[in-house]
Amino acid sequence: MRAAVGILAACCHLPQHKRSVEDLFQEEGASFSSDIAVRLGIKQVPIGNSKASESASNMAVAAGREALQHAKIDPMQVDVVVEYSVMPQEYLVPVWNMSNKVQAEVGASKSFVVGFSGGGSSNFMVALSSTVAMLSENDSIKTALLVTGDTTIPGNRVLNPADPVTVLGDAASAVILQRDAPGGVVIDTELWSDGNNHDICYIPGGSLIHPDDISLYRMQLDKARYDAFPKSETLRRMSDKLLERVGLKFSNVVCVLCSNISSQDEAAMRQAFEDKVSPVCASNRESHGHLQGTDFPLNYLSLIESGSVKQGDYVLGVSHGMGATAAVTLFRY
Amino acid sequence: MNANIGIFEANYYLPATKKTLSQIFQDEEKPTEAFAADVDFEKDIGIEALHVAKNETAADLCINAAKLTMAKSGIDPKEIDLIIDFTSIPEDYVAPTWSAAGQVQKAIGATGAFATAVNTGGCASYQTTLKVACSLMSANDRYNTALLVAGDKTPEFNHNYFPITVVSDGGSAVILKKNMTNRRILGVEVATVGRLHDMWFIPGIHNRKPEDVGGKYPRWLHVCGDVQRFNKELIPINLFMFRKVMLGVLKQVGKKIQDVSFFVYPTFSAWDLKAFAAAFNVPPEKMSAAGMHHGHLQETDMVVGYVDALNTGRIKDGDLVMLATNGAGFSWGASLVQH
Repeated sequence: MRAAVGILAACCHLPQHKRSVEDLFQEEGASFSSDIAVRLGIKQVPIGNSKASESASNMAVAAGREALQHAKIDPMQVDVVVEYSVMPQEYLVPVWNMSNKVQAEVGASKSFVVGFSGGGSSNFMVALSSTVAMLSENDSIKTALLVTGDTTIPGNRVLNPADPVTVLGDAASAVILQRDAPGGVVIDTELWSDGNNHDICYIPGGSLIHPDDISLYRMQLDKARYDAFPKSETLRRMSDKLLERVGLKFSNVVCVLCSNISSQDEAAMRQAFEDKVSPVCASNRESHGHLQGTDFPLNYLSLIESGSVKQGDYVLGVSHGMGATAAVTLFRY
Repeated sequence: MNANIGIFEANYYLPATKKTLSQIFQDEEKPTEAFAADVDFEKDIGIEALHVAKNETAADLCINAAKLTMAKSGIDPKEIDLIIDFTSIPEDYVAPTWSAAGQVQKAIGATGAFATAVNTGGCASYQTTLKVACSLMSANDRYNTALLVAGDKTPEFNHNYFPITVVSDGGSAVILKKNMTNRRILGVEVATVGRLHDMWFIPGIHNRKPEDVGGKYPRWLHVCGDVQRFNKELIPINLFMFRKVMLGVLKQVGKKIQDVSFFVYPTFSAWDLKAFAAAFNVPPEKMSAAGMHHGHLQETDMVVGYVDALNTGRIKDGDLVMLATNGAGFSWGASLVQH
């Protein structure tokens, strides 16, 4: 029987400074209305200052250090650092990746690093699934530090201003996974992608196709294709498949954690998941907006703090992202 | 880790157009820094010409390699459970937001696959990706067949990676399958020295300087290397780190370096190959140096070296093959394949 892998600790690092959604809409020349406010369900988002201390990688280092302290893990015990960011980093990925800097600055000098691209908000669960596999299948890998730092592109925080889908905030997070951890056990993950939609959401400028067009250095969304992609239906189908594989039913699941994209997105998830979406998702969405890879660690921590789960409860994490990808993970608290 | 995961098929794609090295050096910026090694970078490198993609995109290079490999394997694309892009230089659109994995999935019709990308390790991303892919396949009954793909198109006027190498454009693909009795991947070892993270990087358009706009060289897309740190911090530990990962993977599977029949090593330069061979006592007939005529192909070097050695009969049944490389980050990786 394979050893269980669980979450020892999770931490989020959010910039102190927050901007109201109304301000950001105004700054980016987008129309804000009460209808849009209701559809998004986001009041404000954290935005890092322009100082180096709140660069994506420095926030990731801070989150990583804090997670290690919470888990009481000596950095030298970390066997692998796994990175799951979504937004462009200080230098161009994949030649550079913040995981190397995180490894050096948290002092995890015995580890090696892995980073994942292209899954958007699902990247966290791609990283989680891959890390669980590495921990359970390699005797020499016992402890992992998962980490992200995402800073938004200035002037590009309202995604698809003509018909807004979400408002992006800056954040970092870190999760410590360990083989034989006592709780937060990652039971299984189901991953799905549809290559036909690889360009549903992407940043066209600044790489090989448009190397020097700074006006295209913005996250762009094809709204018609985004709307047509059956997100909640796909996630429910994947959840049922995963639950069947591990011998459980949806009735065994206590609650569902989804990404903090918008109230419209969450409403679809509520419907697909029979009103089991935890209230912490709405609360975090309202106060922080969509924090990309950090949405799940933030919601997971809030769920624990809320006291609404007890030991042995099953929690589903569901996410859809660029690629187009969808991901579902089942946890046992 | 399940020891019955093996390399079912592998192949590479190189664009037909070639450019001589003298033309490359004439067209590109001249490095001004001093290089510690006692060699003439332009004359002694051992590479005469590079493959240069014209209208093909980086994703095209990836897709062409994937299609060639799929055709050679005879596998139905619907059998592919997992696609992992292990490209190590910038792709068509900005990463990590986008990767070519989804486009490959679409192009080959692998409708049942999950597509993702590993974006660390530089040229050692091959080993990092092998580690991830083998772990995912070993841990999950539903992942039986994986396709690893890479496609590198060097930004214009950036083929000269002084002081390391000169680089070609190209793509590669590897199909991994479970329940193999031959070409089994016995183990993979990866090590990272993260303090060298900012010694080799590409700034990106968001770091573009006003003086770079409109110039001949799109510097924000060109690799920047700190040659002084390269000389002082990387070169002194390089062979030590190679030894560490190679002995590490041998220890994992209970083998000795004397058991290795053939080494696949990157084609950085003639002097680098010589230093590796001397350090580990590897005779030329046991090394994949024949790939030098393609130029350096980043992470694809591992596939080119392996496929060329297979095709020319240099790897035989029963051979234990070591694939070892290093890359930006900096990472070192070694894997063992039992034929």
